[in-house]
Amino acid sequence: MTFLGLMIPLLPLLGFLVNGLLGKYLPKGSAGWIGSLSVLASFVCVLLIFKDLQAEQAISIDVFNWIALGDFSISFGLWIDALTMIMLMVVTGVGFLIHLYSIGYMHGDEGFTRFFTYLNLFIFFMLLLVMGSNYLMMFIGWEGVGLCSYLLIGFWYKNEPFNDAAQKAFVMNRIGDLGFLLGMFFILFHFGTLDIQTVEQLAPGLASNGGLIMIITLLLFIGATGKSAQLPLYTWLPDAMAGPTPVSALIHAATMVTAGIYMIVRSNVLFALAPDTLTIILWVGVITSLFAAIIGLKQNDIKKVLAYSTVSQLGLMFVALGLGAFSSGIFHLVTHAFFKALLFLGAGSVIHALHGEQDIRKMGGLKKLIPITYITFILASLAISGFPLLSGFFSKDEILAHAFEQNKIVWIVVAVSSFLTAIYMFRLVFLTFFNNFRGSDETRSHIHESPWTMTFPLVVLCILAVLGGLIGLPAIFHVSHWLNTYLASVTEPSAALIHHGDGISHGLEIGLMCFAGLAAIVAIYLMYRKYVMQKAIPESEESQQGFIKAIANKFYVDEFFENAIVNPVFKLSEWFGTFFDKKIIDQIVNRTATTITSGGQALRLSQGGNTGTYVLAMVIGIVVLFIIRLLI
Amino acid sequence: MNTLIYTAGLGMVCLAMEILDLRKLLVPVILLGLAVIFGVNLMSWADSGPVIFAGLDMSSMLLVDHFSVAFNGVLIVAAAFLFAMSHDFYKDEQHHLSDYLTIIVFILCGAMVLTSYSNLVMMFLGIEIVSISLYILAGSRRHDLRSNEAGMKYFLMGSFASAVLLFGITLLYGASGSFKLTEIASYAATYGMDSPMFLVGSLLVVCAFLFKVAAVPFHFWSPDVYEGSPSLVTTLMATLVKVSFFAAFYRLMSSGFAGIDPHTSTILVIVAAATMIVGNLVALKQINFKRLLAYSGIAHAGYMLLAILSLKTNSASALLFYGATYILATIGAFAVALPVFSSTGKETIDAFDGLGRKKPFIAGMLTLSMLSLAGIPPLAGFLGKYYIFSEAIHNGYVAITLLAVITSIIGVYYYFKVILAMYTKAGEDTEIQFPMLYSIVGIICVALSILLGLWPGGLMGLL
Repeated sequence: MTFLGLMIPLLPLLGFLVNGLLGKYLPKGSAGWIGSLSVLASFVCVLLIFKDLQAEQAISIDVFNWIALGDFSISFGLWIDALTMIMLMVVTGVGFLIHLYSIGYMHGDEGFTRFFTYLNLFIFFMLLLVMGSNYLMMFIGWEGVGLCSYLLIGFWYKNEPFNDAAQKAFVMNRIGDLGFLLGMFFILFHFGTLDIQTVEQLAPGLASNGGLIMIITLLLFIGATGKSAQLPLYTWLPDAMAGPTPVSALIHAATMVTAGIYMIVRSNVLFALAPDTLTIILWVGVITSLFAAIIGLKQNDIKKVLAYSTVSQLGLMFVALGLGAFSSGIFHLVTHAFFKALLFLGAGSVIHALHGEQDIRKMGGLKKLIPITYITFILASLAISGFPLLSGFFSKDEILAHAFEQNKIVWIVVAVSSFLTAIYMFRLVFLTFFNNFRGSDETRSHIHESPWTMTFPLVVLCILAVLGGLIGLPAIFHVSHWLNTYLASVTEPSAALIHHGDGISHGLEIGLMCFAGLAAIVAIYLMYRKYVMQKAIPESEESQQGFIKAIANKFYVDEFFENAIVNPVFKLSEWFGTFFDKKIIDQIVNRTATTITSGGQALRLSQGGNTGTYVLAMVIGIVVLFIIRLLI
Repeated sequence: MNTLIYTAGLGMVCLAMEILDLRKLLVPVILLGLAVIFGVNLMSWADSGPVIFAGLDMSSMLLVDHFSVAFNGVLIVAAAFLFAMSHDFYKDEQHHLSDYLTIIVFILCGAMVLTSYSNLVMMFLGIEIVSISLYILAGSRRHDLRSNEAGMKYFLMGSFASAVLLFGITLLYGASGSFKLTEIASYAATYGMDSPMFLVGSLLVVCAFLFKVAAVPFHFWSPDVYEGSPSLVTTLMATLVKVSFFAAFYRLMSSGFAGIDPHTSTILVIVAAATMIVGNLVALKQINFKRLLAYSGIAHAGYMLLAILSLKTNSASALLFYGATYILATIGAFAVALPVFSSTGKETIDAFDGLGRKKPFIAGMLTLSMLSLAGIPPLAGFLGKYYIFSEAIHNGYVAITLLAVITSIIGVYYYFKVILAMYTKAGEDTEIQFPMLYSIVGIICVALSILLGLWPGGLMGLL
């Protein structure tokens, strides 16, 4: 199994190397298949391991001893346990489907080979992130996926705003990464190791030093807010939609943005020891989930709606973590990966059919023209809205039940935001697929269903989005919750540390479920009445006023950052550039350099080439050393 | 011990091949022989202990321990690189090929004696085997005045240093009554430095070693000799020979003078400081590439002296690692420089002008080698410096380490001069001939530099 475990990250790396180094010599279009098949092979390795690995087992692979400084060492090690397995299946499984989809979507793009090169590199780093046995390995993956995200957002680099979006994503992530790094330094300093399992075992012993654990977890959480787009560092994610749509599906919905969730669950003992941090996580999650859902209500770009929805759903996962329900967070992560990847791919299929049109006001009536996309998209929307018995229903419900049990206010806010989810999703669905087409006739005549490489992933993901809830059926169905059982070995150590209630009664749980399902149905009906029966179309931004205008402008968060941070930094930078750098630093540097080089010149003259002088110098040297020796 | 015997045997084989007129096979046979010797050396890793030769216990002469085996391994690899390059370097001098190569094999023998001696007589023998061979090689271009000058200068000054060394050994024998390192150590531990004879003797021996490793103020020979010698011999002096002298110096200080009083280390601190400063500062103004590397070698000697100062558990490992990274980077640089010199007919830095455009891959190898010498991560040269510096700080030498860091920052400047020449200057249109073996040697060196930079544990954990 060690061999298979090594193969999981190595195969995509191989795909990256082949595409990156030999891409121009290979026949055109083969890059897509090389990229896809390498991820598929990796997925097969994951399944083979999954077949044999018991839930409570773990594989530890020490590839080599990487850094050895004195008595401290870091190994280049991989660690595969139940949590890793779940993440691996999502990353390679969903990753493969999106690779396949990209073959159709990116067909004919001049950067086709480059695209798959980046995509494979991304998968490699993502696998390092989830498989790393220590925080440094995780950090390599963490930085690596950030790099690939940057490269792929700015994939169409000839378009200036896209480059800006890429830079914004990079900078925002760097802020978070600083938190992660500092957290790592603290861990290293106080635990003397970065190995995650060792840290988890040592942590309870250091719990008396409550402040320390809290600082570490808070710093790690700052890292998570950057990567997983939480308040206040979320603004890069909507802009990241500048990248090709499969990138949005893979990186900005299914995998990379969930890295923060994974990291917290991976260190769940640390976090369980810091109840204050958990409270902060809870409230950041609650506010983000509501905030992003409200902004999502008024967006008119099909991908922007989905982007804010992702931010909101990630917030929901953080709520679960904040409540100490780590496996519920992972459950929602998995189902979200299914339906959100599907939504993005569906949106990509729509954009593909409309030759790049992303404004939902110029769509409409597409359900007959692209039926497969329509059916899968609507099922995914039902799933994310929490329509009864679909995957999102179960995973969301579990979080809602935990919230109801622990904190009623949280429950209310989360319930509202999940009601809003149904609203903005079905506003999107009805505007896109129902009524009549609102674009030009020219465009309409070209609308066509996508090729099989694109529709096949849609169908597979659709099945997963519908049935994905089966991995976590609640107790009222009289079956065991498979995911909870499977993850027990990972979450158990922390479960003992967090005081959980006795759980809510079955009757109450059924009641909550009915309530949530009903709310979703009501929301869908409201949207149906407004956008299908009354045929409303969102107005342009200029005519909006008051609160609605604030929503449409995303609460002016970007403008706030612009004026409060970016502009002052630019001003300061200008001052440093013109005065401080030129007048002070340059002078110091230049003076030092001339002094040193003239010193070199002077010393060089001692090298005259005369052997006699050299021998004399040696004799003098020996004598001087003797004198020094005798004097001290 | 077997390693040494086999190497000497290889030298005999080389001479025999000259008689049998098999010059064409010389380089392949030597490389094959070195591969075998490397294997023999590996096998002696496990069974280090008393050295028995022809029924006699030779332990008081040579001692095979992990230190010597590890250094021998590095030296054998370095020698293999040099021989691989010699094939093309001596293309026009087939007549003397076996002479040159045999002498280099015997230099390797001398170097192995230097890594494993346990007796001052053997130490002297090792130094002389290496030095006398080098005098010949330095002056081996008989019709080239500069080569003659280099050989003569090196010989005169080297003889002077040998006299100093011999005088020092005599005084040590007079004081302690033995040539054996162990007995000298126990004498020093018992009587300390009270005996003036011992004090003067030890200082003279140290000065002779400082001459051999080209530390200031005994460094004057090195730029002139490096510049005048044939370039391959310069490479040999800068890599294999320099590291073997350092191994010998370390062995002397750690086992012979282990109980020596702390004042000697103060002298070494002063010498190391002067070496770093002079080496780096004078290198700034050099325009000849070989002189540049000579001064860079002086600067590196200053850093390696820090390892000899520290003498704690990890410092042998640090010295081994540093020596290996220094050898790899220097040979990597010369593997590019030798063919460039012979194609352009120049040995100055502007010989590299425009190489980045003409031969981007080759220029990349030289760039990485220069970066490794400058100590830029993630190349091995960075970790080499890091280990030596951290070792020195752990042993309390903070000020000198600070100076080492500052001077190595200054050093980045002249290494970048070479890189800038390649990429920013337009060169002449001379066609650069780049034989296969040079690129193979260069690629292996650079690859190992990167590998050791990412995975230092392989070498660092040996000692």
